[in-house]
Amino acid sequence: MTDAIRLKAKDYKSEVKPIWCPGCGHFSVHNAITKAMAALGIDKDRTVLVSGIGCSSRLPAYVDSYGFHGVHGRGLAIAQGLKVARPDLTVLALGGDGDGFSIGGNHFIHACRRNVDITYIAMDNEVYGMTKGQASPTTPMDWDHSKLTPHGPGVRPFKPAALALASGAPWIARGYSGNPNQIAKLIAEAVEFPGFSFLHVMSQCITFCPEQTDWKAIVTESEAPPLADADEAAKQFLHEDGFQTGLLYREQRATWPPPGATAAEEGAPGELAAAFRV
Amino acid sequence: MATTATDSALANFLAHSLELESEARERYGELAESMDAHHNRPVADFFRRMAAEAEHHLQEVAALAGHMTLPQLKAWEFDWPDAEPPETASYEALHYRMSLRQAMQLALANEHAAERYYREFANRTGDAGTAAVANRFADEERGHAAELERMIAALPASGLHLREEDDEPHMPE
Amino acid sequence: MSTRYLSIAITGAGGAGVISCGELLLRAWAREGGRGLLRKAYGPQIRGGESAALLKLTADERYTAASRYDAVVALDWDNFTRFEDEIVLDADSWVLCDEAQALPPAVVAAGARVVHVPFDELAAACHPEGRVNMLALGVLGRLLGLPATTLAELAGQKLAGKPRDYRDAATACIELGAARDIACQLPVPPLGNKGAWYLSGNQAAGLGALEAGIRFVAAYPITPASDVLEWMAGGLERVGGQLVQAEDELAAINMTIGAAFGGVPAFTATSGPGLALMTESIGLAVASETPVTILNVMRGGPSTGIPTKSEQSDLNIALHGLHGDAPHLVLAPLDIADCVFTTGWAVQLAQRLQTAAIVLSDQFIGQSTAIVSEPRRCAPFAATPAQDPGEEGAYLRYRLTGSGVSALASPGDAGHRFTADGLEHNEKGTPSSRQSDHQRQLAKRQDKLTAFDFGGDWAQIDGDGPVALVSFGSSAAAVTEAANQLAESGVATRVISLRLLAPLQTAALAAALEGCSRVFVVEQNHGGQLFHYLRGQLDFGQPVHSYALAGPVPLSPENIAQAVATVIAEATRS
Repeated sequence: MTDAIRLKAKDYKSEVKPIWCPGCGHFSVHNAITKAMAALGIDKDRTVLVSGIGCSSRLPAYVDSYGFHGVHGRGLAIAQGLKVARPDLTVLALGGDGDGFSIGGNHFIHACRRNVDITYIAMDNEVYGMTKGQASPTTPMDWDHSKLTPHGPGVRPFKPAALALASGAPWIARGYSGNPNQIAKLIAEAVEFPGFSFLHVMSQCITFCPEQTDWKAIVTESEAPPLADADEAAKQFLHEDGFQTGLLYREQRATWPPPGATAAEEGAPGELAAAFRV
Repeated sequence: MATTATDSALANFLAHSLELESEARERYGELAESMDAHHNRPVADFFRRMAAEAEHHLQEVAALAGHMTLPQLKAWEFDWPDAEPPETASYEALHYRMSLRQAMQLALANEHAAERYYREFANRTGDAGTAAVANRFADEERGHAAELERMIAALPASGLHLREEDDEPHMPE
Repeated sequence: MSTRYLSIAITGAGGAGVISCGELLLRAWAREGGRGLLRKAYGPQIRGGESAALLKLTADERYTAASRYDAVVALDWDNFTRFEDEIVLDADSWVLCDEAQALPPAVVAAGARVVHVPFDELAAACHPEGRVNMLALGVLGRLLGLPATTLAELAGQKLAGKPRDYRDAATACIELGAARDIACQLPVPPLGNKGAWYLSGNQAAGLGALEAGIRFVAAYPITPASDVLEWMAGGLERVGGQLVQAEDELAAINMTIGAAFGGVPAFTATSGPGLALMTESIGLAVASETPVTILNVMRGGPSTGIPTKSEQSDLNIALHGLHGDAPHLVLAPLDIADCVFTTGWAVQLAQRLQTAAIVLSDQFIGQSTAIVSEPRRCAPFAATPAQDPGEEGAYLRYRLTGSGVSALASPGDAGHRFTADGLEHNEKGTPSSRQSDHQRQLAKRQDKLTAFDFGGDWAQIDGDGPVALVSFGSSAAAVTEAANQLAESGVATRVISLRLLAPLQTAALAAALEGCSRVFVVEQNHGGQLFHYLRGQLDFGQPVHSYALAGPVPLSPENIAQAVATVIAEATRS
């Protein structure tokens, strides 16, 4: 693509205007996605954004590409089926912490393991925003602002990065909605990385978790290169505060499909039928 | 009644022996039922016989213990040379199409292990009375082993591929 | 006793190889041009349990379960009681068994003719690796007039991976069995044309799907559908398709939707419990107008039910299991060969109409193997006048059209980007909660189905009689057989075997029922699901009766005929 016709980030935005609350972190991710697509010169017609249900899952409609807004928790399955059937496409899966780690938890684990070449951006605001503020798997134990769990969830939150590592994800990064340019850079790297890339974005919910504006004080940008050793990464992910940003872990691993797949044979459907003849 | 060192040593020994025999009886019983369910009649019948022998020996040990107070140990608190008591055949050693010869060889290994256990107990214990009982038990196990060896020798020759089956495994659910 | 069919049960336990014996016998029979069906019955063990190979050798291709058995070959009698309700014997039956084991009381009570064959002794004497199932195969082959060389050849193919002496033993035992004179005579049905097919309904469904263009399958194993997926794994590789094993049925249906969104015809197969999990996402396919085909190989329900037995009790969930108003396609193949046609038809319909198609097969046809003449195929649909998505940038994915079908773009198509959505939407695809959009899209999704001309394959209709027998899917064979029996006793019937259940072709069905004085709806479930469905869809002018009997035993043509005759007799009296 020549510079003359190179698209700008805003060209990747659709004409549908986001309805997120002002102050919502997801605006930054939207911003970052379009910047990353522009930087990579991505072909809009060969890009698909797939999401589940939740505030962050509205994102595909706000980007001028193909999109699929699926049901709650199943975006990763749709994305993987799509990419396996159409490896020529660029596929991004998007969703929130409830969508991805609660109802979608099983699909998250297996997507990390299966290593299909897609990018998964989980926008984590530690709450179910769309359904008006219930605790999610990443909500702190003592957060007592939900009527459903008035004394706080009382159980420890997941550590998504640790979960991803244990499940086999070869590329794990974290971003923060206060730094959309860093997110954009990470998205670009994720898309280019051959394999399943997991980008965990701490993306504040201004309406149900106004205290998350304090995150900016505790977010730190990692200066170190990404770890390549799973043991070290395990230790880090289990003990960190969850607010370190950057590319945290990266290893080379064979991507889907597994070895052994063969190309189509000429006349094969007829041969399949013939095999039944006595 | 005060507990003497002799009583303690013997009580501990008998507790172990009771556990050994009752585990053997239970295990052989389970294996027999498993073989019944998979229609391996000869092996099922054999395991049932072994269970009956273990029961017989169990009664002997119980009679010997009489009115003694024995230590009440949990299953994992007994002191065995291996993970399970010596005469307890491993679940993993089975195959639904195992031959009678293979089953008998499994039992034979158990008898040897039991004999070794009793012999070593006799050698280790500081108490003469206990050692005498342990050695007697070891002798009995050796007798069982000899009987099994005779039975094995009397078996007809069998094919090499007994475990082969033509049908595919079935999906019950 | 009719020579229209010969029914043989082979039973045994402990790894005797009963099923292999039955399969080899049927294959050899097929080679000679015979026709027949093989069903299998098992105990709960994964290996070494009691099992039965239930063969029905026929003069035609009407494959119902046998109501009685002409012969039982018992390699042993271990736990035969499990099968005695199904393996019905009488004084005309033959029993071949080893004298060493006592006869079960049920066999004695039946008064069957017993012929002792020392299977164990003969096999042991024949070869150190000798097996009774191969001996029995030789014996049965002789009784059916099958060449021992054919049996040996087929056995050799099956045992190709086994040790050499094991294979030699098989051949030797077959030959020994074939050389033995048994004091028993079986009425052998006439042979038909050679060059038939030998396959199961599950394989047939897989073939139908592949031939219709399926190139992506997401698979989660479940009894009795796993065979479909396993066959397709091999088939897809040959045609350059993809199969992904999913982590659960929820992933399977969503992966299928993802691939379909990518423009690749996609398919999955499951059974009742899996279909229940999938319903939310099948609704997503309907709402987003993404074409998918789901094969449901029905089994005994509800819940975990009876996984290895057949039933037709998932009609309700297939028709009504999606929340909201979500019209979609429901089809049911009528027999094993018809699995090729109906599955292929369903795939093409789903693609053409951009919706979800649920195909209701069942364990009976799915896991039985039959010899059939070359199955009929669904011809490829003629291409419609080009459904041009229109100018770039002006694409309306859900445009309201006369047919209800709007042009479908796929990722990669330049200038036709859209976001598919489960949310209600306007013509562009933008989410909308407006009444006008909802009304129009609901109508679009319904009208595209009701406006479509499905042609004559919606049902198989035979006969002209005043008594109508209506069923769906695999009940067709038992109902057809019942109709024959009723005809013999002077009751003329019209048999309507439904292949397309949704959208129900009410006008055509009403026309088919015109002139019928009485209607019987026959089905293999407890709740009369088809009966209540039809009564809700049609104003019957005549009395309608329900014959609804759940599994696990296959429907009996005799019982159906008797029930019908009884009702008619009572009605005539009053």
